[in-house]
Amino acid sequence: MQKPASVRYPARYRTASWAILSGLVWLISIQGIRAQSSVEHLLKGVVRAKDGDVLPGSSVVFKGQTRGTSTDGNGAFSLDVKAADVLVVSAIGYQSTEVTVGNQSSIIVTLNESASQLNEVVIVGYGTQDRKDLVGAVSQVNADEIKNRPVASFDQQLQGRAAGVQVAANTGVPGDGIFFRIRGTTSINASNDPLYVVDGVFVNNQSLQKITTQGQANNPLADINPADIESISILKDAEATAIYGARAANGVVLITTKRGAYNSKPKVSLNLSGGQAWAPKLWDLVTGPEHATIINEAWINDGKSAATRPFRPKSEGGRGLPEEQPIYDRLGDIFRTGALQNYDLSVAGGNANTRYYIGGGYTSQQATLRTNDFNRASFKLNLDQDITDRIKIGTSNILSQSKRTNARVGDGPQGGILQAALHTPTYLPKFNDDGTYAKWAGFDNLDVLINNTDMHSISTRYIGNIYGEYEIIKGLKLRSSWSLDYNNYDEYEYWNTLTNRGSASKGLATSSISTNTIWINEQTLNYRRAFGSQHTFSALLGNTLQGNVSTQTFAQGTNFPSDAFRQIASASVTTASSNRYAYNLTSFFGRVDYSFARKYFLEASLRADASSKFAEGKRWGYFPSVGVAWQLKQENFLKDVGFLSDLKLRASVGYTGNQNGIDNYAARGLWGGGFNYQDSPGTFPVQLANPNLKWETTRQANIGLNIGLLNNRIGLELNAYHKYTYDLLLQVPLAQSSGFASIYQNNGAVSNRGLEFAVNSLNINRGGLQWNTSFNIATNINRIEQLSIPVDASYSAERMQQGQPFHAFYVYKQLYVDPQTGNAVYEDVNKDGQITANDRQFYGSALPTLFGGLNNTLSYKGFDLSVFFNFQTGNKVYNSNRFFQESGGTRDERRAINKNQLNRWQKPGDITDVPRVTTIGTNYNLSPISRFVEDGSFLRLNSLVIGYTIPKAILNRIGIASARVYYSGSNLWLLSRYQGPDPEVNVTANPTTQGYDLGTPPQPRTAQFGLNITL
Amino acid sequence: MKKLIYHILPAVLLLTSSCQQFLDVQPDLQVDQSQAITNASTAEAAVNGMYNRLGNDSYYGSNFPALSYLSGGDINWTGSQTAPQEIFARRVTSTNGYVGSAWAAIYQTILAANYLLETVPNLSDPQLTADRKNQILGEAYAVRALSYFDLARGWGGVQLILKATYAPTDNTGIPRSSLTDTYAQVLKDLTTAEPLLSATTNRNRFTRKTVWALRARYHLYRQEWEQAESYATKLIDDTNYKLVSPYSAFFANNAVATTESVFEIAYSNSFKNGHYNWWLPPALSGRREWAPNDALVKSLNDATVGGNRKELIAQTAAPGNLWYGKLYYRNPLGTDPAYVIRIAELYLIRAEARAQLGKTTLALADLNAVRSRAAVPASTAATKDALLTAISDERRVEFPFETDRWFDLVRTGRVATVLGITDTRKYVFPIPNSELLADKALTQNEGY
Repeated sequence: MQKPASVRYPARYRTASWAILSGLVWLISIQGIRAQSSVEHLLKGVVRAKDGDVLPGSSVVFKGQTRGTSTDGNGAFSLDVKAADVLVVSAIGYQSTEVTVGNQSSIIVTLNESASQLNEVVIVGYGTQDRKDLVGAVSQVNADEIKNRPVASFDQQLQGRAAGVQVAANTGVPGDGIFFRIRGTTSINASNDPLYVVDGVFVNNQSLQKITTQGQANNPLADINPADIESISILKDAEATAIYGARAANGVVLITTKRGAYNSKPKVSLNLSGGQAWAPKLWDLVTGPEHATIINEAWINDGKSAATRPFRPKSEGGRGLPEEQPIYDRLGDIFRTGALQNYDLSVAGGNANTRYYIGGGYTSQQATLRTNDFNRASFKLNLDQDITDRIKIGTSNILSQSKRTNARVGDGPQGGILQAALHTPTYLPKFNDDGTYAKWAGFDNLDVLINNTDMHSISTRYIGNIYGEYEIIKGLKLRSSWSLDYNNYDEYEYWNTLTNRGSASKGLATSSISTNTIWINEQTLNYRRAFGSQHTFSALLGNTLQGNVSTQTFAQGTNFPSDAFRQIASASVTTASSNRYAYNLTSFFGRVDYSFARKYFLEASLRADASSKFAEGKRWGYFPSVGVAWQLKQENFLKDVGFLSDLKLRASVGYTGNQNGIDNYAARGLWGGGFNYQDSPGTFPVQLANPNLKWETTRQANIGLNIGLLNNRIGLELNAYHKYTYDLLLQVPLAQSSGFASIYQNNGAVSNRGLEFAVNSLNINRGGLQWNTSFNIATNINRIEQLSIPVDASYSAERMQQGQPFHAFYVYKQLYVDPQTGNAVYEDVNKDGQITANDRQFYGSALPTLFGGLNNTLSYKGFDLSVFFNFQTGNKVYNSNRFFQESGGTRDERRAINKNQLNRWQKPGDITDVPRVTTIGTNYNLSPISRFVEDGSFLRLNSLVIGYTIPKAILNRIGIASARVYYSGSNLWLLSRYQGPDPEVNVTANPTTQGYDLGTPPQPRTAQFGLNITL
Repeated sequence: MKKLIYHILPAVLLLTSSCQQFLDVQPDLQVDQSQAITNASTAEAAVNGMYNRLGNDSYYGSNFPALSYLSGGDINWTGSQTAPQEIFARRVTSTNGYVGSAWAAIYQTILAANYLLETVPNLSDPQLTADRKNQILGEAYAVRALSYFDLARGWGGVQLILKATYAPTDNTGIPRSSLTDTYAQVLKDLTTAEPLLSATTNRNRFTRKTVWALRARYHLYRQEWEQAESYATKLIDDTNYKLVSPYSAFFANNAVATTESVFEIAYSNSFKNGHYNWWLPPALSGRREWAPNDALVKSLNDATVGGNRKELIAQTAAPGNLWYGKLYYRNPLGTDPAYVIRIAELYLIRAEARAQLGKTTLALADLNAVRSRAAVPASTAATKDALLTAISDERRVEFPFETDRWFDLVRTGRVATVLGITDTRKYVFPIPNSELLADKALTQNEGY
């Protein structure tokens, strides 16, 4: 039978997550009431933090009562007290403390910072803020928390760590592309990736890869060693992002790398780890005899003569009886246990005027799929130098080289290494009768590919800047910086004459060298001042110039003297080309913040951006935002509510823009070259002009609530947002009778509405045992609000259409398999009595409706444990492997058959959703169909870390400051109903397609041991 | 304060003007449409671009011929792609990728022709002589005629786009013309092209002779037998065109532009097609997405049917022993010509026209000219009907991997007999679904 249209979230999931949630043990201590002695005297006091800063607005109340006062702007208070009184002193972000008055008349109360998140400093656009003063919606992730997952890039490590941030890896190959969305997908043809800013440098995250690996592309963010990262701040609402204006419609990810500390001795850190990666589950294919049985059955069902069935005795001219067929396990040949290694060494320190951080790292990750490796060597230098009291200069630098060995993985028979293993029928031999390599089904021979695939790339990357800062008058700082993101991507492939790709052309080699350069010059003027004890004011003014140039040089050679010659110089037929593209941006921006008594906050910002991508007159876009916050806990009516330690309401609205991802010359009418004939140059029109093209704009409103409970041991954050993106930069499809496929126009609108919830709690903190839980969950409702013409995605199972979410599957719906005839019955939507293209319908989306993560960390006497789950639900995956492998005999010797095909209808009365096998009719000749649209929900044990810190007493003897050993596992357990190995999958790097599974290596399971040493 | 303004004002002005410059980034790779066709050399480049589109993979490069032979019942789909699967299984939907891309490629070719027709007459460049101008215009008319001819035989009556597109609103709201009007446009363009072109022999570009060849085919499709006969004769009587012998001489051993060819599209390292990829087996760098079926293999290997045309096919190593087509095979890969019209077809056109006109003996002679080249025994068909059947059967083995079989069966009304397809609505391809979405003036063919 057909599976139900929507599968309810299995009860197991719900109970698992609720059990853990309710398992959070809130420790509530009920304070007793004590008697008081009778004589009053005046007590004057100051409340300070441990570092000596005074704490204005701290609460000082009599224990067990609501009576008390709060400190003034200098952290001072005075109260009439009795000797026996006990005062409870508390401040946001600090552990409250109790003071017995006695006979003292003056007192200094020192508060320790609380272990909660609340007092952390959050990196925001062009500055920092105390979390308790935040107006915008910002998630900050400490790099230490996520570093244990052995993946190539920090963006993948963020999976499940921040509410409203959806991260999915396309494949299980390290260093491949990542799907990363902050609060949903906003655009069809412009970019949906956030702006990545590394130490103030806007970095490129678009792949430069030109030699195709059939579907996938490298992730340029893997050039950054995650070990050099201190923290990652994710800006989500308009208040936080609008300062980045036209680059910020999809959110901003600010990466801050590690820096030294002033006045600190050199600290040497060494991290070593090594382990293995393997594929926990692969595809189930039928045996040779089963394959032959299916093919013979289809033959008979087609009405052909049993006497000529393909699998009949060889003596009768057939391929042998089904039971005589062998089985070859090619999947076992192509997947391996991959080795993982990682080494990081750093030195950090500083004196009164200088601080530095020097880091070096090397990582090597073998994919579970053969011939795919990722290696990265990186170097990091951060330096800050005070020249005078007022002048400071500094620099941040990342230099890295990432080397990949690649394979053609996905949809491609020429060298498609996984497809050769997964899709070659299991009964077919590896060798021909004459001993040569057999090449079946349009695929290459797997052994040939494993031994002869030679594709590699080297990405050389520099990301860095220098800055100077001058304090003109107290509180007024001018900063100027020059930044560079330079990436050279050097690829080479060589296919010798044993391979399909190289055989007929007597060897084929391709060299491609791409560069991408982003340079930025930026000036900011920053002013911050407190007026009196209550008013704080700050202002920011700045401008940015940004230039982008990308180039590509490409050469190809064929006809080599022999397989021993591998460089194009030896080829007798060569072709070459080069390209260059550029665009520039210029911006002005400003922001003012005002706060009153740390109770009322107001922030407003405006950014003006101009892009060379648009025609004169349409270049400038203006992106304002305003946000307010109200710290209710500071109000008198809440001051004395003991269990409530923080309560803040936030609201913001603003505009951001997008022009990323569209062609650099999208507004122009263009003719292109390269349309050659008879080796003479030719030209042809390639693009129609649209001088009215302008920025894509996103309007976003956000309301948020922060709650701190029990002295901030529990912190809750709730956000609700509505993003509305309009004037989409859309390649509007044209009738091709015009000679053009599309034109860039501002056409269409998309909305994303969502809720985000995050909780952090310190569940237990006594007797050396500490247990923290953090949990986040988010929902995002995506809808295409306006689109003049439906747009089909690059893989045609998906369509974008008004009223639907992105990545909606558009298929023929299989209603059932007729138990009498065994034929699939499809829904005739327009009731015209035949199944035509007009009978396709929407059938779920690849976007999840709920997603998030749950992390628990425990530490006790040197031992630490961290257990992290991530999950998503409501998303569908189109299992295209099944389309090819459950094809009812239509593909015979061309494709392997999967086990599910064995559930086919065989005789009247059979109840199944797999129709009668036949090559005739629509049973197996219609695509795409709903049978292959599967539930992609999952719950994954994303990482598990167990560590032990060796006692100092032992280490001191050998001169080591600290040492920790650990085990770390990733993807150790997966709960999913998906029939393929892993529902977190996507066939292509093309962002218009999501959740389309075809020959994609699954996520690896890994286990590692590691050692951290500090000297 | 005033002093400050004196300093700031020029700074602001400087900033604004340099900003303007900074934001004016010109493309390096492509040129603005206004600079596209301005003189002799750019016009020549645009002519090359037009042939490039005609030979594009989606048109004569591989896709359009494939639509014909995959539909024709002699080729098996042996690959994995869904578009050829649909065509092979006769379940073509309006979302079929091959149908859609062929449609788009044909109209792109028409766009290239329309641009030339509009711009070249207005060019004043001494390098561009009147003769050269006429030659260019003649080629543009001829290419447009061939494009509309292919649209008509593939889809029926279509929208006649006769002006270049400069803005998205150009060429919108145009309803479909009838089949008769579409063919009338073909004839009109051919008639206009004929005097503009010189009567030279060029097998890779349009000349007056190429136009004659196309007219012969056109009149055959229109059942205008006398004209079909006379235009075919113009070519057959021209000593520059001969049936080369053996059959394989027109393609084997890297031969190009042999005297067999009336018009073939040329490919080289700087312009390739992907036809080989669909035919050759993996061991020869292809995908073998389709292959000759048992019946065709049998016919080609039959000394009385295929004769030396068996050189079109070969077998892979044992135990596979799979048959494959090897008309498109050469190294460098992708440089096989696309055969648009060969002299053999003109013999068969004339044979059919003459048979229809009752000139049985002459018809038989033309048929046997083709058969004799293929080293098969001469036909003895004596009646008109026997001759017509023999000619059709001959076309099947003479052009199995070229753009012929399906269109020939439709033209001669033999689809139902040969392929068993009785729903006549399926004798044309569907209009691509995406076209219907983008263009409200367009209507779908019945039955899709």
